[in-house]
Amino acid sequence: MNQSKPKTTQGRLVLLGINHITAPIEVRERLAIPSARLADATRSLLHQPGIREGLILSTCNRVELLTLQDDNETAQSQAKTDLLRFLHEYFAVPPHDIQPHLYEFQEREAVRHLFRVASSLDSMVVGEPQILGQVKESYTIAREVGAVSTQLESLLQRTFTVAKKVRTETQIGSSSVSIASVAVDLAQKIFGSLQGKTVLLVGAGKMSELAARHLIERGASSILVVNRTESRAEKLAADFASPNVHTEAVPFDALYEHAPRADIVITSTGAPQKIFGRSHGQHFLHARRNRPMFFIDIAVPRDVDPRMNEVEGCFVYDIDDLQQVAAANLADRSREAAAAETIVSREVDKYHERLQSRDAVPAIKALQQQAEELRQAELARSQSKLADLTPQQREAVEALTRSLTAKLLHPQLTALREATRPKDPE
Amino acid sequence: MSLLWLRVAILLYGIAALAVLPAALYDRPHWRHIAIPATVAAVLFHFVSLAEMLNVAHHRLPVDTHETQTLLGLLLAIAFLVVYWRYRTVSLGVFILPICFLLGLVPAFHPGQENTAFPMVHTGWIFLHVALLLAAYAALLISLLASLLYLIQERRLKQKSPALPWLPPLETPLEVLDQIALKALLFGLPCMTAGLLIGSLIAQVTVGASYFRDPKILFAFALWLAYIAMIYIRRAAGLRGRRAVYLSSFVFFVVLAVWAANQFSAVHRFTAP
Repeated sequence: MNQSKPKTTQGRLVLLGINHITAPIEVRERLAIPSARLADATRSLLHQPGIREGLILSTCNRVELLTLQDDNETAQSQAKTDLLRFLHEYFAVPPHDIQPHLYEFQEREAVRHLFRVASSLDSMVVGEPQILGQVKESYTIAREVGAVSTQLESLLQRTFTVAKKVRTETQIGSSSVSIASVAVDLAQKIFGSLQGKTVLLVGAGKMSELAARHLIERGASSILVVNRTESRAEKLAADFASPNVHTEAVPFDALYEHAPRADIVITSTGAPQKIFGRSHGQHFLHARRNRPMFFIDIAVPRDVDPRMNEVEGCFVYDIDDLQQVAAANLADRSREAAAAETIVSREVDKYHERLQSRDAVPAIKALQQQAEELRQAELARSQSKLADLTPQQREAVEALTRSLTAKLLHPQLTALREATRPKDPE
Repeated sequence: MSLLWLRVAILLYGIAALAVLPAALYDRPHWRHIAIPATVAAVLFHFVSLAEMLNVAHHRLPVDTHETQTLLGLLLAIAFLVVYWRYRTVSLGVFILPICFLLGLVPAFHPGQENTAFPMVHTGWIFLHVALLLAAYAALLISLLASLLYLIQERRLKQKSPALPWLPPLETPLEVLDQIALKALLFGLPCMTAGLLIGSLIAQVTVGASYFRDPKILFAFALWLAYIAMIYIRRAAGLRGRRAVYLSSFVFFVVLAVWAANQFSAVHRFTAP
């Protein structure tokens, strides 16, 4: 049955890889390919026997080889071994170190996996936006070295369309799931653009620094650093300094004097008692002529009195609040992921249907041509008997034979189309 | 024919009003692709309808209440598009588009029958007087709605709970809403001042000093003062949130009172059935 399928001419799609679920970081880092070496690796992959087209996707969470291979019995059984040998030779990693972590998808399942990866459904943080860019980068490199041409080209173009569709038709990427990014999102809900905003960092801590860096990335232009140890504040301020960012170390004693300058306050001191009370909030807002202020309190015990949130214009989020938003966003993403999976399944079906119907076209054309030749031959044979017919009658005979041929062919053409339509894998 | 265009515009406002809900409240940006083109098309049909209606019936002057309503609806829809163009936000559409729909609904099925015998009707000044005052009212309404949305967004951010079905998240940041509220007021002030000035000059020429003792006219000047006071307070005290809504609501009620005072005015009635 398989021999009659046009698949033989199209090649076989094979995807082999490891990811954050199947392999620990120790294995993944041994197979990771820096982007500078990706072109060379793709070229080497293309030189493997039986490989017609190929692409390598290498990110911190996965290394995957997508290949279009010759579709014959020997090539099929050799496919995995050849790719494994490539990994072994290229990375100098023994096959038995990789094999237990490898997964392999072929044909339809390979298409599904690729769609899921590009749509960020297979990512560690579902919905994260970087993966599509990484797939595109791999595609660009593979295209430059001539490793992607006909079938992979159309598959990858479809992949990008599906990923875009998933992003626009679901909310999979709309909500942040890390504390720092939640804080930045909230700041944007209050201030809109963060261009020109001032951030006050009270105390030091990894998470508060990360949040401050996120804020700078989004346009915050001024960072004030307050620490009980002045040298520490100065060092931190120097760390944040850049041509676009004004930084300033503020003495702890001058905290309340400088605080109204800040639009966003990030606190993470180890102080046992609250640093900012409700009355401070009222005072700051008055000094700022009611311009809003956003307090991100990452300290435990808390630095900001939660009652400050009652002051109009003051928004106070402590670590629990931020975590709650992040968790809710994660739940939202899971819900959206289900919708995204449906889109991917539908698109896999569509892609295969299109591929298969494209396979059936030559056979259908050949059958139609053969029938037409037969019709013409029969008409020519009866030429003498039809000689007396008027032009209208000849036209009617033409139409009649054409219609008869079409009707006789119809069940066969339908059967052919049905035979090439994708079937349930079961 | 003008009625047909108006009905098409109303239908399009209805579609836009529905499409803007998921875009503004449920963060579904692709619904904007329906809401915005539908509003643009509605504005075009609305404009054609209004121009035809006024041209045929009243020499380019909205006399009838229904026509004034229609013109106000058109100005509000244009204001919504201007806000979208400037701030890329559709949140205001949650209120404005249904208002446009309702303002056009009655005139679309019961066109105005009243006419006017006012002597200066042929001059463009009367139209300018009406249009400028309506633009000021529209600006005030936009400011009130933006303040209201500010309040909702503020509550939403203070509640911290991400899924309150009765208080859905808005796509517009607080500061943007505040900017819209203030800039709408600042736009409305010159409109209202010029509108009142033109009206006063026309009244002085046609009616004389007695015109200015009419309650409707006195109310209109009180509104102007309230408007200036509101802008001053908002800017000086940086008024936002709840208090800004109270203030805007107060001035908006004054507007409604000025509008309603037309019914009791002895001199500011120009329609003849």
